[in-house]
Amino acid sequence: MTVTLRRVVASEWTKLSGLRGPAAIVVATVVVSGLLTYAAANASSVDPGFDPIDSLTAGLVLAQVGPLILGVLVGTGEFGSGTYRATFTAVPRRLPVLAAQTLVTAAVALVTALLAVGAAVVALLPPAASRGIALDLTSDGTPQVLVGMVAFLVGLALLGLGVGALLRRPVPSVVAVVAVALVLPIALVLAADAGTDPMAGAAGSTSLQDTVNTVVTLLPSGAGALLATPPGTGGVEGAPDLGPWGGGLVLLAWILVPLAAAAARLRGRDLTGSR
Amino acid sequence: MISVTALTKRYGPTTAVDGLTFTAPSGAVTGFLGPNGAGKSTTMRMIVGLERPTSGTATVDGRPYAELAAPLRTVGVMLDVRSAHPGRTAFRHLLAQARTHGIPRSRVDEVIALTGLEAVAHRRAGTFSLGMGQRLGIAGALLGDPGTLILDEPVNGLDPDGVLWVRDLVRRLAAEGRTVLLSSHLMHELALCADRVVVIGQGRLLADATVPELVDGTEGGSLEEAYLQLTAGAVQYRGGDVR
Ligand SMILES: Nc1ncnc2c1ncn2[C@@H]1O[C@H](COP(=O)(O)OP(=O)(O)OP(=O)(O)O)[C@@H](O)[C@H]1O
Ligand SMILES: [Mg+2]
Repeated sequence: MTVTLRRVVASEWTKLSGLRGPAAIVVATVVVSGLLTYAAANASSVDPGFDPIDSLTAGLVLAQVGPLILGVLVGTGEFGSGTYRATFTAVPRRLPVLAAQTLVTAAVALVTALLAVGAAVVALLPPAASRGIALDLTSDGTPQVLVGMVAFLVGLALLGLGVGALLRRPVPSVVAVVAVALVLPIALVLAADAGTDPMAGAAGSTSLQDTVNTVVTLLPSGAGALLATPPGTGGVEGAPDLGPWGGGLVLLAWILVPLAAAAARLRGRDLTGSR
Repeated sequence: MISVTALTKRYGPTTAVDGLTFTAPSGAVTGFLGPNGAGKSTTMRMIVGLERPTSGTATVDGRPYAELAAPLRTVGVMLDVRSAHPGRTAFRHLLAQARTHGIPRSRVDEVIALTGLEAVAHRRAGTFSLGMGQRLGIAGALLGDPGTLILDEPVNGLDPDGVLWVRDLVRRLAAEGRTVLLSSHLMHELALCADRVVVIGQGRLLADATVPELVDGTEGGSLEEAYLQLTAGAVQYRGGDVR
């Protein structure tokens, strides 16, 4: 009866499935994804050139918050309460716990993402039917968009886990991930708009715009946008078009860096609670 | 058996544990005593690998805790009342611990019954009273049926019935040949359940003796009197005169 990774995974699953928070997040994510996609598709269904598929990713803006917070909950759950004492006296090698949390979070996020993307597809049906358009999910790179959306949502959950496990406190972790994933891209674009004088039209302001677009592309949301865009059509003007694979790699970096930092902190230091 | 050798822990300018050496033998209850801030909890956290010593070593049955293949089967630990997630039920908390070692669900039910928590096993730990949290911690320590128990103030917050139960429990565990290291500030309680005591002050060893040795060498003839004399120079936080 020794400690094995398989057993630590079973333990982490027991912990996660015994809390109300994560279950509520899964439900909320799926509902938000469906409703927001429906609202967007319904609004544009009056346009002459309406294509329901164009609204497929509209729900991601808000649906991404769920996986982020799910990850943070798992990452900070040990240290926000005194659970870390029970956990790490049972698994004194420590790192298997983080590995198990990564697996369990990825699994729950995958189910959430599949349901959320499914809800988004279903939400397109009524607006499409209202215009007599049959929904076609197999052409124009749509399969890749669907896979990209799922990968994006799972990736964000792991980003939340890494940041949560690194910072160990729920509030700073949520602030950090929401800032990076949601606020920063919008704030940067707004700031660049404000910094660009529409009268001048000088070359200098264009290069500022290009810099901002490049930075925004390299943020998790930009990487996610690339993942969920067919190749060749992605990329913001002035920023390099990395394509879906490039976007995937950028997102992977956003996952691995906080997770590696969390692993280093976990392995090398004293374990003390956050309060 | 627990062996602590030249153990030192510094937190920045604070030296919490200072070159501490002692052993807690098997088949005995070793009381771990010292004023507030003496370094008892810090020593226990280092023994079970939650904190890294600045220098020195701590082993259980001759091996560092982190190298044990099935730590819960070797050592049972209760360090703090609040060691369960407030949103998780007592049963789930214990089950999660058990699963890391493949300990069966039936053993979880057993320790719940043993600690008298049946009625509240499916309530969230955040709703527990101090004593219920304490019982949950003891249940966790007993899960793996370990040969060594490390209990930090286990009777703190327990009702008289619970205090008596812990006293009987540790006596029985020691009689079975197990090692028990137990910290407490309750001298009368320790006089009843400990075979030997290790007294520390400001992180340093002040005494390591059997209870009779200590008591007989003191005029007044009580463990409390012996403790007060030993630690007179090592108390860091002393109340003011009451008028
Ligand atoms: N994480 C920490 N950071 C800084 N100082 C700490 C930390 N943990 C403990 N200390 C300090 O180490 C010293 C020993 O504390 P410890 O909790 O081990 O004492 P104790 O003997 O258990 O006291 P008590 O009887 O009050 O429980 C104290 O001065 C305490 O402030
Ligand atoms: Mg203490």
